[in-house]
Amino acid sequence: MSLSPNGAIERAPGATPQVRASGPGGSIYDLGYQGYEGPRLGRQAAIRALYWHTIRSCYGIGRGGRAKIAPFTLAALAVLPAIVGVGISALAKQSGEIGDVLEGSSPIRYATYHGLISTFVLLFCAVQAPELLGRDQRFGVLPIYFSRALARLDYAIAKVLGLVTSLLAMVIVPYAILFLGRVLVASDLVEGLTNELPNLPPLAAQALLTSGLLGSISMAIAAFTPRRAYATVGIIAAFLIPTIVVALVIGTLSGSVADWVVVLSPVDVLDGSNAALFHASADSESVRSADLDGLVYVVTALVGIALAVGVTIRRYLRISA
Amino acid sequence: MPLIALEGLTKRYRGGVTALDGLTLDIEPGIVGLVGANGAGKSTLLKLLLGLIEPTSGTARVMDLDVRHNGPAVRQSVGYMPEHDCLPPDASATDFVGHMARMSGLPRSAARERTAEVLRHVGLYEERYRAIGGYSTGMKQRVKLAQALVHDPRLLLLDEPTNGLDPAGRDEMLELVQRTGSEFGIAVILASHLLGEIERVCDFLVAIDAGRLLRAAPLGTFTERTGVLAVEVETGSDALAAVLGGHDLEVVVDGRWVLVGFSGERTYDLIRDAAAELGLSLVRLEQRRHSLEDLFRDEVPAA
Repeated sequence: MSLSPNGAIERAPGATPQVRASGPGGSIYDLGYQGYEGPRLGRQAAIRALYWHTIRSCYGIGRGGRAKIAPFTLAALAVLPAIVGVGISALAKQSGEIGDVLEGSSPIRYATYHGLISTFVLLFCAVQAPELLGRDQRFGVLPIYFSRALARLDYAIAKVLGLVTSLLAMVIVPYAILFLGRVLVASDLVEGLTNELPNLPPLAAQALLTSGLLGSISMAIAAFTPRRAYATVGIIAAFLIPTIVVALVIGTLSGSVADWVVVLSPVDVLDGSNAALFHASADSESVRSADLDGLVYVVTALVGIALAVGVTIRRYLRISA
Repeated sequence: MPLIALEGLTKRYRGGVTALDGLTLDIEPGIVGLVGANGAGKSTLLKLLLGLIEPTSGTARVMDLDVRHNGPAVRQSVGYMPEHDCLPPDASATDFVGHMARMSGLPRSAARERTAEVLRHVGLYEERYRAIGGYSTGMKQRVKLAQALVHDPRLLLLDEPTNGLDPAGRDEMLELVQRTGSEFGIAVILASHLLGEIERVCDFLVAIDAGRLLRAAPLGTFTERTGVLAVEVETGSDALAAVLGGHDLEVVVDGRWVLVGFSGERTYDLIRDAAAELGLSLVRLEQRRHSLEDLFRDEVPAA
């Protein structure tokens, strides 16, 4: 036995097809088991394959029809307002002066879009994160993963990135529809593009923060239980309970220290970062009354992502397999 | 270079349970039986070889690679069939095994071909497109074996592969293991607490007890002939023993059996003549062999 150039370890001699029957008409060969001499792409390829597999699982691709219902319904709900929004813009364009009023009062704008769809993103997490992690724990599949080319760390990272990417698609697609719609509706394409282009960086930043924070926190919770129902309830609770507690604290105690508790609520943090990035007023009463610097929310979201990913990795380094 | 080289391998679990205690051992390619009672440390040893768990001390090298530092490289060429259930019931065998092939680093098209190939090899045909949840235990064991073979490993680690199978299923699984090991050039380590299984398919045997090595040797030396002839007579075993004792033979009486120390070809004649003289009906005359059970009976009386 020795290592060959492609990293495979060479086979012991003796693996040859056996003639099982022969006669005047020819021979029947029992080819039996065939070896594999092709490339072994190793750890990197395994990680990439798991990443894509996770994204496909998120949208139920490669599974039965029922697995597609929840993700595609939620994704459709997230896209729908963007299509309506483009319709309003188009209508406003054709309506002259009244149109400007219509356009100005439209509830579907870049700044408001996060508020319109964050609930759907959150529900997507609550439905899919437990499935992505709990299934392998529930059915004892982890030893089979960890006895292959990838390491525990790789498994955790590929799964988290897979969910975050799926969420990103869910958020980016309506943003893109809104953006392209507004560009195309403009009377002059170049002028439309110049007007809309400055919105791209905040759109991209908010999309990354939303999918990153909601996705990583959901995975950190789902990593700790093989039971799907517990994980789903846990994820919803982790996003809802802090908003309520924070609202109560800020409502009852006033003062700069109390204001800072708002960073403990992921939903409020994303509302805050959205308001800061689009220079708009926040949806959440807590965020408005706390009145922290916009940068605080962006930094908090990044720290939150790092913490949640760290917790998930730690869990998978220790989980028994 | 041995296939597996263990050097003082020790695993202590939290809570103070010592699963492996200073195991030093070289294992050469072949079909190797790893035998020991439940809890002897078989599964722990397999998991250490895969890098699924970290040793407390000592080193394990597989195919000359240190498991602790070259985990992914080792595992790329090792297949593992766990003892317990490890199959998601909602996936089909094709999807599951294909996915696991990719997790071993095979390209997409190769993964697909290998999956079809290996499922045919273990004897799953049309049913491979159905969800695993509806499979019999025997079919599930085949899927477990298939996922361990799909990336064409050089070493196959099987943890109690016949668990839960009926006698016919056991025979088929053991035959598969034997074919895989002897015809395809894949080294196999078969962990089992059933000595009969080990005896049937393995050519080398490693016996461990309470985390310590009892013995490692070719199977033949475990079952080789002993220097004892066993004579079974219907009656008169004491009389026979007395006559044979008079001819300078070592004799022990054990009920209807007379155990005679073998001293050359003349022993047979002496037994025949003595039985004829006494008019005894000789039921059986055989050379005693060691059995694997003796291994545990003799050397670990307390266990």
